[in-house]
Amino acid sequence: MQTKRNTKQTGNVLICVLGAILIVSLIGANVLRNSTTRLNASSNHVRAWKEALSAAETGGDIAFAEIRKQFSTISSVKSSQWVGWTKSGTTYASQETTLGSSNLKARTVVETCYFDGSGVFHLGLNPDPNANSWYRIRSKGTAPLPNLKRTGMDDALTQDGRKHFAPVGSTEMKDITARGNGDSLLRKIDFQSDHFIATYGPNGDGVGKAQVAASYAPSISRRIEQIVTPVTPFFDAAIKTSGSFYGLGSAGQLDSYDSRKGPYVFCANDPSNPRYPDSRHGSLQIGSATATVKGMLYGDVATNGGTIVGSSQITGTIDNNVPFTMEDYQMPSTSTWAYQAPGVLPSQLPNAVTGTQTLVPLQPGTADAPQYYIISSLSGKLTVNPVVTGADTYVAIRVNGGDITGGITVNGRVHLKVYFDYNINTKNSDLANQSPTATNPIAGNLQFYGISPPRDASGNPVRTQSINLNSGTPGTLAATFYAPSADVHENGNPDFIGTMVCKTFYANGNITWHYDRALNDEGALLDFRVASYVEDTR
Amino acid sequence: MRLGIPAKTHAFTLTEMMIAAAIASVILAITLTSSIALQKSFSQVDNYFATHMQQIRIVDYLARDVKRGLSVTSSADKQTVVVKIPRYIIQAGDADATAANIGTPRNPTRLYVAGSGDPNVNYGTTTSTVEYKVSGSSILRTEDGIVTTIASSTDNLIPETIDIELANTEYTTTAITFKPISVADRSGTIVYSTAYLRNRRRPTL
Repeated sequence: MQTKRNTKQTGNVLICVLGAILIVSLIGANVLRNSTTRLNASSNHVRAWKEALSAAETGGDIAFAEIRKQFSTISSVKSSQWVGWTKSGTTYASQETTLGSSNLKARTVVETCYFDGSGVFHLGLNPDPNANSWYRIRSKGTAPLPNLKRTGMDDALTQDGRKHFAPVGSTEMKDITARGNGDSLLRKIDFQSDHFIATYGPNGDGVGKAQVAASYAPSISRRIEQIVTPVTPFFDAAIKTSGSFYGLGSAGQLDSYDSRKGPYVFCANDPSNPRYPDSRHGSLQIGSATATVKGMLYGDVATNGGTIVGSSQITGTIDNNVPFTMEDYQMPSTSTWAYQAPGVLPSQLPNAVTGTQTLVPLQPGTADAPQYYIISSLSGKLTVNPVVTGADTYVAIRVNGGDITGGITVNGRVHLKVYFDYNINTKNSDLANQSPTATNPIAGNLQFYGISPPRDASGNPVRTQSINLNSGTPGTLAATFYAPSADVHENGNPDFIGTMVCKTFYANGNITWHYDRALNDEGALLDFRVASYVEDTR
Repeated sequence: MRLGIPAKTHAFTLTEMMIAAAIASVILAITLTSSIALQKSFSQVDNYFATHMQQIRIVDYLARDVKRGLSVTSSADKQTVVVKIPRYIIQAGDADATAANIGTPRNPTRLYVAGSGDPNVNYGTTTSTVEYKVSGSSILRTEDGIVTTIASSTDNLIPETIDIELANTEYTTTAITFKPISVADRSGTIVYSTAYLRNRRRPTL
């Protein structure tokens, strides 16, 4: 007998298995769908948001490197500054740079700017011929968002009456805080158009708003602004010494003024005087604990572990915990300077100035390209006159073979910088600054730079360097000294206008010292530094 | 003679049915249990992931504000962080606000720092205050009085501000944990973050 197999019995099993597979598949699909969203948000949005900032900062770094080229000692580097950038007046715009394995993009605009004596911002070159310019760097970094166009998690793109991007000028535009929750409000995604340009304009000021396609669609962009300050020898301090300090005399006085606002007047005790805010910056910066401060000081005192005790003699703040170091000073690049060979013409100097010598340069030069002379020593009396009366004349002299023991007089509108390799040993009265006038000299027009002695294999200087300024009448000295390796002895009680940066400082006379706040922007360019960083988070 | 079995008489025995039903029940039970377990597991993973994303959001918010900040302070109980940031955008009510410049970037100003002689760059005469605060199971971000909940169900924000004045810098280290719905232990959920101020550190304005 043959029985027939009942195949219907297998149907139940198949249905059960298919049903189970379906259920598991649905769960799996749901997991995958949600996981993809999470993954998209986590791996793409977060990464792109961070990389966009990296790109923006890279653009800022490229601009910063470009700015620093201007004091490079390598002429080919210096001459390559802003090559490849688009120049419009004193504004420079970079090409769009693509970088990194994620194809990030960076674009940067650098604007030359300066701050006036009141600290107010201005675009353009600093009109002060002795001063250096600042820079404002605005950089935009963009990171593409691969894969599907998705918003972030927990987004607020709902009918809640709020706007995703608040319009310019609206009262709700306080960063992003007024507009709900969610990732996309932090990590703003440009799906088709650049929301920033469309809403706020390319510069963020509401001008030039336009519907511009995003660099990538979709992508995330971030924008930063950095302010770059020139690093110059003088920073709002009358005397800065990395080592010990002693002075001034017990009846001495240290205050400040701003020559851009007029000749010096004493107003440190007169708050009603409009120039009073500039009068109490006669500050001391002492990089050691060995500090003896005497006299009336209208300013602040900073030491490195010192024990300065506040009294009525010091009007400002005292901070005994401000360490700093000063690098050796090297001769700057002279590649753009107009070197004048030694000679006997009125526009030339001999190899060594031993007698009375008057110099009238042939060309006025500029702050960046002065008339440049090299002499071995200066023991005579040197007078530097302008090319023509009333014309700004820029002169640089290097004394590289011996001490400066003679005198220097600058007349008219001469801007003289003296670079010395050895020592200065002269009288206060032998350094006569009559630029622009004898009655109202500007300290920045007579600047001394002490080139640090070379160091041996052990790192020790091969010789010492000193500045001895001896008493003499008349006792007005308007000058600046930047000599981070020099030991300074200031004798007598001159009326000193300017600043001194040195290794150690000693003065025992009742000096009346006035720091000129115009020096904050002046002096040889040592470097640049980013002074401010802010992100435009709109 | 061949005996045929009428099809209509085909049937399982009771024993067979019971065995089949038992097996089917077991299979169904396993399937249902697995499905529920999978759903629960997915829900927990989803919750964990979503909360983790909120942790990252908090960290990103904080890092962004600290980077552009001028000072950072944290409360003694480490549950509140206050960041002072430049007032970069001119806002209605500001002293220098006009109808034309509200909502535009502000030009910087320069101010020399007492004692150090270095210049500070400021945007306006005041700063904006951003506060991060743990509130229940949420993290609130308040900028100039406007509150935003930047995360919920994420708690125990533990910020630590280390003020290194000598190095002229400042940074914050932050640790954020949450309690998953699956387990009571939050120790495995911690996310650390360190953010440095890009600006010169300055006293709280």
